[in-house]
Amino acid sequence: MTTARPMLGSVVALAMACLLAAACPASAQDSLGQPANTPPDETSFIFRRVPDITITPIEGSPVTLSALGRSSPLVITFIYTRCGGVCSPFLESLAAAARQTGGLGSAYRILVLSFDSRDTLADLRAAARAHGLAADQGWIFGAASSPDIARLARATGFWFAWHWSSGQYDHPSLLIAVDQGRIVRMLAGATIPPSRFREITDELRGKFVPSYPAQNRRVAFRCFRYTPGGGIQIGWGFLVLLAPGALAISSALWIFARSRGSAS
Amino acid sequence: MTPQVQAFWIFVAMACLVAGFFLWVARSTRQAHEVNQDAARRLRRNFFYSLTGLLVIVLALTLRHMPYPVPTERPERIIFVVGKQFAFGISSRPIADDADWEAATYSAPVQIPTGAMVEFRVSSFDVNHGFAVYSPSGELLGQVQAMPGYVNRLRMRFRRPGIYHVFCLEFCGMDHYRMRGLFFVVPRTNTQSHTRSLLAGTGE
Amino acid sequence: MPLPVAGDGLWQEGEARAFRRLTLAWMGTMMFLFSTMLLLGYFMRLFQANAFRTMRPEWFYAVLTLHGLGMVATWFVGGMAATGYLLTRYSRPSIWISRLALAGTLVGAGLLAAATLFGLFGTGWYFLYPLPFYSSGVWPPWATGCFFGALALLFSVWTIWVLDLLRAIASRFPLRQALGWHVLSGRPSLGVPSFVLVATVSLIAGAAGLAAGMVLLGLWAVEWLRSGYSNDALLMKNLTFFFGHIITNITMYLGVGVVYELLPGYAGRPWKLSKALAWAWNTVLLLVVLAYAHHLYMDFAQPRVLQDTGQIVSYFLSVPAAVVSIFGGLALVYAAPMRWTLASWLFFLGLMGWAIGGVGAVIDSTVALNSRFHNTLWVPAHFHTYYLMGVVLMLLGFAHHLAVDLTGEPERPAMRHAILALLAIGGYGFLLAFYWAGAHSVPRRFAAYPRELSQGVAAARVAVVFIALIVIAVALYLWETARRCWRAFSA
Repeated sequence: MTTARPMLGSVVALAMACLLAAACPASAQDSLGQPANTPPDETSFIFRRVPDITITPIEGSPVTLSALGRSSPLVITFIYTRCGGVCSPFLESLAAAARQTGGLGSAYRILVLSFDSRDTLADLRAAARAHGLAADQGWIFGAASSPDIARLARATGFWFAWHWSSGQYDHPSLLIAVDQGRIVRMLAGATIPPSRFREITDELRGKFVPSYPAQNRRVAFRCFRYTPGGGIQIGWGFLVLLAPGALAISSALWIFARSRGSAS
Repeated sequence: MTPQVQAFWIFVAMACLVAGFFLWVARSTRQAHEVNQDAARRLRRNFFYSLTGLLVIVLALTLRHMPYPVPTERPERIIFVVGKQFAFGISSRPIADDADWEAATYSAPVQIPTGAMVEFRVSSFDVNHGFAVYSPSGELLGQVQAMPGYVNRLRMRFRRPGIYHVFCLEFCGMDHYRMRGLFFVVPRTNTQSHTRSLLAGTGE
Repeated sequence: MPLPVAGDGLWQEGEARAFRRLTLAWMGTMMFLFSTMLLLGYFMRLFQANAFRTMRPEWFYAVLTLHGLGMVATWFVGGMAATGYLLTRYSRPSIWISRLALAGTLVGAGLLAAATLFGLFGTGWYFLYPLPFYSSGVWPPWATGCFFGALALLFSVWTIWVLDLLRAIASRFPLRQALGWHVLSGRPSLGVPSFVLVATVSLIAGAAGLAAGMVLLGLWAVEWLRSGYSNDALLMKNLTFFFGHIITNITMYLGVGVVYELLPGYAGRPWKLSKALAWAWNTVLLLVVLAYAHHLYMDFAQPRVLQDTGQIVSYFLSVPAAVVSIFGGLALVYAAPMRWTLASWLFFLGLMGWAIGGVGAVIDSTVALNSRFHNTLWVPAHFHTYYLMGVVLMLLGFAHHLAVDLTGEPERPAMRHAILALLAIGGYGFLLAFYWAGAHSVPRRFAAYPRELSQGVAAARVAVVFIALIVIAVALYLWETARRCWRAFSA
């Protein structure tokens, strides 16, 4: 069992305090941040710097976040291996979205961090294997010390809360795109649709999105729908825009066709 | 001379050319005579080719200088701008609601280092506004529309330090002409530490 | 010879007389609205020159709205009335629909005046979404309702009128002839006048513009009546400029059509429907519906392809205008046995203003420059050039032509010289102040200028002097023309 040193201490202390260590979380880790019904709002965190924490990956030696980010931008997400709820399907949908959008491993890498101090590297390795991601160069599964996890969580609005009744953590599922040490996009949700994930990867690849509609507005006819990378889909509104021309041409044709007989 | 003033003089010269040509044609009617139709047609054909050629050349020269952001460039600073009747909130932090906007309107002006590529992410909380950046000497440098429901990104670089004013260039109601904002451009060398502390400030 | 010509199988004497009187009524309306709107424009420049320091800016913006819409409406109906009148040579436009349009226009103009002058409704001519809903307490809801009601009325009667003129053309010419396609395929012109081609193109485009206006009003109504539903600001902006650009653009073309029909009579040469002419106007029909995109260059949310299209289309829309209409007009006049009257001078100078305004417009439609010119005074500078010194002169020329034609009263050369000189000096001086201010970054639609933009006040003070000359010129013109029109009307 090789974890970061401060974490080891707390686990040992807890093992002494708890009779059933496996069912009992570390007291320092039982909750962090304010639980909320809504996921963290991207606009409040975008372009903030992420703390340069130390990560122990399941393969290789401990490395800082900045060193990891130097070779490629990162998409960071938090899980815990004993999760009986959202983590597993979330990872599945993330893996599927990454496969569909491409560029994983070359344009960016995904860093899966455990926020649960009980998770050992063996647990994480098992989880990676269970999802078939252990051998994938694009995926990094790793752990970090509790204070480091707390720093990263605070910088990204991530939170978790231990529920004694269910023996599970309550936590949001969050993707944090980090480029050159700064948050460039965030995405929340139990599953990750490939189209939304493409927004993140395109942002990381430096593709430019000229604009994006602000959230929470009910708009009936949108002129254009923006896909990241400058791609544009035509919405119903565009047809509304074409209607006047079509009306004019058809009424002119009708008028001239109608009076053809009377002309001669 | 600013590009605008250059364009003004080009315009005046061309307008004089057009007016001179019209007056010359008007004078020609003093001595009426038959005109060689073939010569007129030839002249028109030449006029067509030279005008089209000129337009194609100007198109080729100017279409490369679009004000729209280039995907390969990455901005050094991101500034969030939200227009609301009748002020601009300009901040290095995202402006997500009215409280943020209020804070951005009343807080100290944003400082931008000279030569830095800045991206303004511009939106509006009510009607259309126009985010137009004026140099310290009152020259319009660039602009983008602030549209409700959209975030438009305008990238600019400022060479001269000083106070840059922002005026609203899309009519937005009774106090449209009073709607404004400002930011500072500061020399990069003097304020590197200051800028660094500003940037660090966005992280915590 | 005054139109409509009675006894040619198309018109009876009584009908012909009624149509003449109706056209005179239209010209009277046009001249009345023009002089009122001109004074409102004068008021605005005085306001910007700080002449009314105690007056609230709401007044400036209410007048701005009325002046903009009022002028566009004035010259649109002026162009339509002139086109309808000239069409009587070839077919029978409905006199009743024209009367309906006149009544609708008068009521609509009255409602617009009420909404702006009594309700202080001030959104600019383009009532850009969603500004009418954000009055900041300036205008009451009834003013918004009155304003949209006026627009709905105007768009409805104008659409009927446009379709009726198309019907009148269709009753005489099949579509391929009205659009000159037979000439394109190498056949002779078959007596199709070039004026009919210009009118057909203008009317079809005009129908598209008015339809866009109706769709726009529909979307406004839906949002107004159904809560919790909001429109796409980008779509609304596209529709607004599609409608606004086409209406102003085809007003210009309606004026050009009048020149095509009447200038040859003064030059003593025909302006025949040639292959080049047919190419040019068919190109215009194709491009005019796309040119509006240049109003949205500063909306970075608009797809890039539309921005590029906007510049390319705006550039190449100038080619048929310059090569066929303006060059053609000059070739028509060059060394011609020209009969120079007030009307023919106004036509000629109108073509010149169109050409000069076109130069200003092409400069502004360059995206790279537009980021420094958009919504500065350069914009009103260029459209006032081809309105005030373009289509306005053409249609004032038409009204004068009509007045002289119907009364047979010869004009006084001294008056003609005075009117033309004052119009040219006043007009171009006024415009130069606009262009200069635009080049010096002065924004448009500012009731007063902040200290940093004090060059705007200086330009407004210069403009005020030149507008005074325009006002005198228009007063002299009205003395010459409106009196004649009245005499012909009451005869």
